[in-house]
Amino acid sequence: MSNNERAVGRVSSSFRKASDTLRDRPRLRLAAIVGIPVAFLAFFFIGPLLVMLWFSFQSGMPPAPTTLDNYIQIISSDLYFGIIWRTTVITVQTTLLATVLGYTLAYSIVRFSRRATLLLVLIILPFWTNYIIRMYAWINILQSGGVLDTIMMATPLYSEPLSLLYSQTAVLIGFTYIWLPLGTLPFYASLTNMDTDLIDAAKDLGAGPLKAFATVTLPMTMNGIVVGIILVAIPTFGSFITPALLGGTDNVMIGMTIESQFMEAFNWPFGAALSVIVSFMVVVALLVALLSGTDLFDKPEESQ
Amino acid sequence: MKLPAPVRHGINLVELFVHRHGSKLGFGVIGVLLLFLWAPIFVVSFMSFADREVLNFPPDELTIQWYVSFLGNQQALDALYTTLHVAAFATPIGIGISILIAYAIDRYDFPGRTALQVLATLPMIIPLIVVAVAMTMFFGQLGLGSGFWMVVFAHSIQIIPFGTLIILSTLLSFDKTLEEASKDLGANELETFYQITLPNILPSIIAATLLGFTISFNEFVYTYFVKDTATNTLPTYIWDRLQHSASPEVNVISVIFLGVAVLMVLLAVLITNVERIAIRD
Repeated sequence: MSNNERAVGRVSSSFRKASDTLRDRPRLRLAAIVGIPVAFLAFFFIGPLLVMLWFSFQSGMPPAPTTLDNYIQIISSDLYFGIIWRTTVITVQTTLLATVLGYTLAYSIVRFSRRATLLLVLIILPFWTNYIIRMYAWINILQSGGVLDTIMMATPLYSEPLSLLYSQTAVLIGFTYIWLPLGTLPFYASLTNMDTDLIDAAKDLGAGPLKAFATVTLPMTMNGIVVGIILVAIPTFGSFITPALLGGTDNVMIGMTIESQFMEAFNWPFGAALSVIVSFMVVVALLVALLSGTDLFDKPEESQ
Repeated sequence: MKLPAPVRHGINLVELFVHRHGSKLGFGVIGVLLLFLWAPIFVVSFMSFADREVLNFPPDELTIQWYVSFLGNQQALDALYTTLHVAAFATPIGIGISILIAYAIDRYDFPGRTALQVLATLPMIIPLIVVAVAMTMFFGQLGLGSGFWMVVFAHSIQIIPFGTLIILSTLLSFDKTLEEASKDLGANELETFYQITLPNILPSIIAATLLGFTISFNEFVYTYFVKDTATNTLPTYIWDRLQHSASPEVNVISVIFLGVAVLMVLLAVLITNVERIAIRD
């Protein structure tokens, strides 16, 4: 911990003194620069995750005997297994929708539009608007007699309200809406980095636009595809706001179950075990992505 | 592998169609998806001027009464104040740490350099609810309790990945011969940092600060779990309201959130560029 103590000392001592000390000692300087963030992340981020892992093996609020019961209860119960299964299905559907739409959007912008900057701003602005507000907007649209019903019933196609709110369809619409920007940006990045001469070459050699896309563009943007899938799938799997606001009681996802363990049932060890299972799924997804050769953490090229 | 003739013929027809109408299809896709992204935002903004308490669309008359009632709602104003108060601390802490991480990763070669970058990215990857409940248990177990400062530190954690990515990408693209020239002329590392490096990366630090503020202003999941009953931010306030029944006041708050997002993101885009904010390259 001496690095951290030195780092803390740097903050408290006067700036000039620190400046003199640090100038003469490059190792101390590095320790200060690295030590502060590592200490902060270790305490407020890694510490909590370790405590969560420990909690998941407690039989009650600590101090309590160590046990595997929380995990056994989750795995052996049809209820929780069903919730995990439904969460997985919704996550896969959401990821498919958001990445296919996102890819189409990114491709259309890169290939056909000259106003990429404006369009990118229009895509990221909704993303930076409050999550709950965006879901609340969809409550207004999807509820019985809401905006969608009003518009649909004004056409001759529908005479009955659709009342989509509180259905799995509503959850899928909500998730796709939330993640479309995140499903677009990685594709935009890999498509702009791509050498477009290759597409022209494929076409010169007789490939139509679809064949050129399937044989040249798609394989060359694989890294963006995996990043896009990861960015959409992981937060969807752990989400509780969207299913709680749009899904109602029939579309419970694992995030909602975790929330209720902390906010209603006050069974922290069981909630911790559910959270560990979510983390485990995330780690598996990341490992699969890394093993497929994806550069997830964009390591900086060796500079200097 | 040779496909049957009718299939090949079909594919050729589609190829021809795409070849002829590709750009129209592209613009159609852009139009439809942008409408999908923006229609809900227009709906809530429009509904904030609706005249009736019961949500009906379209409203009979337009009014600003819900804005007036928001300004008279002490609970909502307190929540707004708390949100700004938290962001005022969380943003500088998060961005300060992001600067240190980005600088260390870019300028030094040390064991654990890649690990540090992964560590700084993780809060963006691990689902929010997992970290949120983990913090609840950790703070509870250590007796740190819940409340204002825990919310501040939690928000800082969420700001770090975004701040680090934005600042690091600027540092990586920054011409380092300028720094070498400064050192050749006798400046030490700190002097070089303040006189050469900082002015060059300042735009991206400001952009990261604006976005860090926006993250904190919008943050819900960490706050919801870590806060005590006395600390309500605007997002937790609207969550409570939505648990009972939606009121047009929530539409007014939606407009506030939209305004903050538009202002901060546009400023950030003007200061740096949209690629730096939107894309991790």
